[in-house]
Order: sequence, then structure tokens, then C-alpha cells
Amino acid sequence: MRGGPLQGVRVVELTKVWAGPCVGKLLGYLGAEVIRVESEGSLDVTRTYGVDEINNAPGFQSVNPEKLSVQVNMKTKEGIAIILDLLGKSDILVENLRPGAVKRLGLGYEDVRATKPDIIYVSMGMFGSEGPLSYQTGYAPCFAALGGLSSRVGYEGGAPEGMNIRYADSTFGAAAAYGALVALLHRRRTGVGQFVDVSAVECMSSMIGDTLMDYALNGAIVGCEGNRHAEMAPHNVYPCRNDEWISIAVNSDAQWASLAQRMGQPELATQPSFCSHSMRKAHEAELDTVIAAWTVKQDACELSRELQLHGIAAARSQSSLDLVGDPILWERGFYQDVSDREGRAKATLGPSWKMTRAASINHAAPQLGEHNAYVLGDILGLSSEEQQRLTDAGITR
Amino acid sequence: MSALTGYRVLELSESVAGEYCGKLLSDFGAEVIKLENPDGGSPTRYQGPFAPRGDDPERSGLFAYLNTNKCSVALDVQRAAADHQLDKLLRTVDVVIDDHAAGWLQEIGLDPATVEIRYPGLVLCSITAYGQSPPEDRLHAQDLTVFHSSGWGYHTPGVDDKQQPPLQGAGRFLPSYEAGLEAALCVTSALYEREKSELGRFIDISKLEVLASRADYVLAQMVAGDMPVGPQRTAYNLQGPAGIFPCRDGFAYIWMSAPAHWDALRKMLGNPEWMKSFPDNWLERECTQERVAEVRRYLARWLVTQNKHEVAALAQEQGLTLVAVNNAGDLSSSAQYQFRGFFSDVDHPVQGAVAYPTVPYKLSETPARIVSPAPLLGQHTQSALAALSGGEQ
Repeated sequence: MRGGPLQGVRVVELTKVWAGPCVGKLLGYLGAEVIRVESEGSLDVTRTYGVDEINNAPGFQSVNPEKLSVQVNMKTKEGIAIILDLLGKSDILVENLRPGAVKRLGLGYEDVRATKPDIIYVSMGMFGSEGPLSYQTGYAPCFAALGGLSSRVGYEGGAPEGMNIRYADSTFGAAAAYGALVALLHRRRTGVGQFVDVSAVECMSSMIGDTLMDYALNGAIVGCEGNRHAEMAPHNVYPCRNDEWISIAVNSDAQWASLAQRMGQPELATQPSFCSHSMRKAHEAELDTVIAAWTVKQDACELSRELQLHGIAAARSQSSLDLVGDPILWERGFYQDVSDREGRAKATLGPSWKMTRAASINHAAPQLGEHNAYVLGDILGLSSEEQQRLTDAGITR
Repeated sequence: MSALTGYRVLELSESVAGEYCGKLLSDFGAEVIKLENPDGGSPTRYQGPFAPRGDDPERSGLFAYLNTNKCSVALDVQRAAADHQLDKLLRTVDVVIDDHAAGWLQEIGLDPATVEIRYPGLVLCSITAYGQSPPEDRLHAQDLTVFHSSGWGYHTPGVDDKQQPPLQGAGRFLPSYEAGLEAALCVTSALYEREKSELGRFIDISKLEVLASRADYVLAQMVAGDMPVGPQRTAYNLQGPAGIFPCRDGFAYIWMSAPAHWDALRKMLGNPEWMKSFPDNWLERECTQERVAEVRRYLARWLVTQNKHEVAALAQEQGLTLVAVNNAGDLSSSAQYQFRGFFSDVDHPVQGAVAYPTVPYKLSETPARIVSPAPLLGQHTQSALAALSGGEQ
């Protein structure tokens, strides 16, 4: 038993790529048993990206630790019947297939509800499952562009640069996971299941709720602001030695005085153009130039430490190299080992949270169909002869 | 009843992360009691955007957005801790949410070990920048600095530019919203288990780890040694000509990664001469920098003559993944958002009625709803404290 708050909850995934699998990953990390239903005729592309061996694809492994895999041919009626049987013994279904695909398969909400009336059915789409644009599809950066995020990221007065291309899927997954758990809790208290319809684009919009409030209240359309922040100055990312960068955010006059002291220019704190927040905002470009002229001669790591010790929020802008070596992420167990079927250890990301009585996380992502015997035999109660017949008939493998 | 009706949440939070977490719970019907410093209330009451009418402390649109459906009790938490009022309150609630710096909970007598013994059924969730025991060089943080600790900052934008600094994310509070969402997820899982076990739980949310986990697809590959790491600001990039291009009336984003996208573009442009020199599968197999640059040149020339929404609609018909880069105004008038009811009119007694953004998940049986606007400072102090002393008799 792995423990954790969701121990005893069974989740079935009909998912592809990143966002859908992320929901199962989060629920699995909270203790749920998560079963990916995979069909050899329509494999998740992350099983094949950049590798010839479908059981060794790094992308797939990154978002599917601690899951089970059952291989069922979804192009056969009997295969769909097996999936419905499994759903009859499950709590949550997560799907992020193309719009309309689950209905065509005979696995839409109404189909599943006929078998399992209290299922929590989580449907994920770029724009949600209904509405005038629900037929449209896209990838993560499309979500960020459509949801209003990309237009906010860029240099002051410049064209939008957009969020990083990798941003969106895991946020979408986290929002869907939250919706699923609210529904699951409701079911535990009332016995009633429901349909949870999640929009990727709206997930993005909810990451800039205050920007949307500014429009609602004032009709304001705020564009790119570089690293500016209305309530803080200095608030920017400054150059350091060796092409490194340091982020610094000052939110009081006292912190600014402390920073000026570290700069060896204490008079800056009382200089009329920088002596208050509003004056610093009014002369922010000049302020940034003065600070950058100082930081550029420093080592980012040492400077961040020195500023921290004097009460200033500062952090080196971490590259991928810095990030995989960040001691706090190892010490807190955010990076942890899981072992594959052959018992080989491999580092991966654990959950972002720590909690008492947490679920243990031990296993790497599953091989294709690795848990067919468990799912078909232990859960569905099929005899080994029946399982053999299904394999021979090309329905399972 | 909504899904979380009947749960009582004590909110000690004073910034965006914890207040957003509380909102995610209160919009599903949880009773969220927000303790506010009687001397001015939550600091978010003084952060923009501001409504054109009203005065401090009731004019912040940020506070109004983050605190829908909550009660405000003006009570000095240090004093309440000293005179046992906090203790009484804690015995009436299911969940406590806090987002002060690491160590603050201990200062008011709520260190997790003590809480587990004194209030065994309480779910206590703390949101901090770097977790409960940060090293001395990570005691101070703002969303900008956490974003840059997490790798997202360094790779935004994903260009190797030695002159221009890497950027913060969209808006001021993205790291806080992300952490608030993760906290709500964990709290809900804890409530689910508690229905049977009657046991509470301590939940420790680190903004750094939440943000880093949002790059799990790439970062897990990097930490496993399956993807190269290095000092390049392009380390998270994908190859190809995808990107944002100016249009006649704004910007559009185009994605291209597979031969099908190339075919769709060819149809869209009427198979122009310049496309004929490219191999059909170049995006997958022969994606050179020269080809990417050439395609980007032609895409830029074409898109600058187009209107973003119109060209996006045509592109979707052809199977080309091209979308408008929307701003707040576009979202406000989006037919899709209207269809789903993403914006909901909320009438605030001081700020007036405006359309608030809501949540991205629609639950068929228990939809999230904004029933009451954010509370005025101390609006529920008397009733809450009377209920407490009543409970004592």
C-alpha cells in the first residue's frame, strides 16, 4: 500500500501527451491507483518521440511515474466493452483526446454513466467540450496565446515574446485535477457523480485574473511591461558576471536603503529621484541602469546570498544546469529516484508538496500493457484462459 | 448545496497565493473566514488594479477578485493567539490556510507538531516560497525571484540574448496563482480522506517546487539525464518556426511541428513558389536554421496583412494550428467565454457591478458560483465573535 489521501481511489486515463497524463500523475502522487488505457493502434506520441523503443521514451516516463498500463485495442467492440467494465470499477475517468473522439469510441459521458452512474468524468479540451470554438485544437503555446498570457510577456512597449513554449500543460492538468477532486469529495458526501469540463484556455486566463479585473473595472488593456511591477521598484533582472542574471525585488524604502548600502552608494536611498516608491517608479529606467552597472561586476550566486543576508528578495536566475543541481530540490526530495521493471533506479520529479501521511512513490512509468494481467485478472476477474483468448483475438496484448 | 458546503476554513493568508487558494474553496461553497488585521486589513487591499470609485481599504480590484464568497473578521492574530480566541476558532474549523513566510506559524503557536496533537482533525496548509525550512540565503522572496529560481524566468523568452534580461511571467502573480491552485488541490485531497479517517494533515507547499513541477515534462527528463542541461536560455525550446507574428490588428501565434502543418500552410497560401524547395517532411527530419529563418520571413510577410481572428478561423478550417494572441479585451468579448459563462457579474457594494473572471472547470452538478462579493473589512467580525462566545456557553 502506498498510502496518501487518495489511497483506494481508482483513476482511468484515456489521455495523450502532457496535460491529461499530468492529471493522473498528480492524483497518483496523492495516492490514487492510476491506470492508463493504451491502444497500440493509437499510441501516445510521447512513447515514440525521439526513440525507437516505446518502453524507454524519456518524455513518456517524465509524466507517467507510478501508473499502471493496460493495453486494449480500442478499434474493437470487445475492447471498448472491457474499458467500460474497468470504468464500472473505477472512480474517475480523465480524457484529453481530440474533440468528439471519446463519443466516437462509445466512451462519452452518457456511455460511461450508463455503466457507472456515479463516475467522475473529466473532459479536457483547448476550449472545453462545448461552445462555438470547442471544435478547435492546439498545443500549449496556443493555450497561453488564446488565454491572454502571451500578450503580457515581453519587453516594455515591445511585441509580445510569449510565455515559454513549455508552459501551460501542467497548469491545465493541475486545474483539472482540482476539479476532479472537488467532484470526488462531493460524491463521497452525497453519492452523486458528475461531468467536469475543463478549458485549457480558461486555465491560462485564471493565471492573470488581476489583469482581467483591470479590464473589467477600468477597460485597461495592459501589454508588455518587461519586469515592471506597480508596487515594487527596483523589480527587475540584472546582469552579472559570466552572462548570468540576478532577480531583485524591493518592496520597501528600508529594503532599498539596505540595497543602496550593499552597493556602496548609501546616498542613493535619500537622493530625491529614488527616495520613495513613487519617485523610484518615476525614474525606474535610471534606477535600473545604476543597479545594473553594479551587478554586472558581481557573481550572481554570491550576490544573491549577500542580498538575502541583508533582508532583500534576490535570486539567481537559474538555468537548467542550476536547476538540476539546486540543493534544496534534492534535500526536500523534490528530485527522487523511482525504479523501473528491472529494478534500475532513475531520478524523476516527485510531488511539489510535502504532507503528513503522504503517498510513497516508487515506480517508474509503466511499459506498454505491463499491467494487463492485474487489470484483466485481478480487477475484472477474467480467467487466464479468457485473457489468452482476448490476446489471441488481438483485443488485448 | 455546492461541493464544499459545510466545510469551514480559517484563512490567515495575507497575500495572493493563500487568498487565491481560499477563493478556489469558497467559490465551491466552503465557508472561508478571513482574519484581517484590524489596522487596515489584508495587504492585498492596497494592491491594484483599483476600481475607479471607492476609497481604501475597499477600492482594490485585486482584493475583490481574490476574496469572493468570504467573511472578513477583523482580529489581531497575535493577540487572538495570546488570549485563546484563536484556539476557540481553531476548534470550529476544518482547514487553516496560511501564506506567511516560513516560521510565522510557529510564532503564533501553530507549529505543525503542536497542531497535530492539539487539533488532530485540522488540515493545516502552509504556502511559502521555498518550503518550511529554507536555508539562510533563501529567506526572502517575491514572485519575481521565485519565478527566476524555478527555471521559467531564465528561459523566458527562449533566446540566447546577452543584452536583454530574462523576464517575469505573465502578470505579477502567476507563481502565487499556481501555488494557490496546488494548495487547493492538496487541501481537497486531505478533506476527502478525512471524511473517513477524521484525521487532519499538515501540507507544506513550496512555490519553487510548484513552479518547477509545471515544467515536469522537460525537467524530469533533464534530472534523469535524458535531456541535455546547460547555460543556454534556449534549453527548453523546441525546434521549428513556431512563434508570435504581428498581424494587421495585433498578433497571432503559429505552431508548426509536423508535415501535416506544412501541408495545411501550403493549402492556406495556395502552394506558393517558395514552399516548393522544401522537402515535405522537413519539419520532422531536416529542420535547419536556414529553413526556419526563411519560413519565418515569409510567415511574417503574410501575417502582417491579416486580421488575427479571421486568419485563425481560416487556419483552423485548413488544419493549420494558428491562433490569435488575445488580450483582456478579446477575452471579454469572446463568444466561447460567453458560452461557458467564464465571466460572472458581481456587484460589490463599493466598486459596483463588473464581470469577474471565474474558474476554468465546469462541474455539472456543483458548479463554482460567486454568491457574495468580497467582504468589507471586518464585515463579519461581530457575528463571528458572537458565535464563538455563544459556542462557549
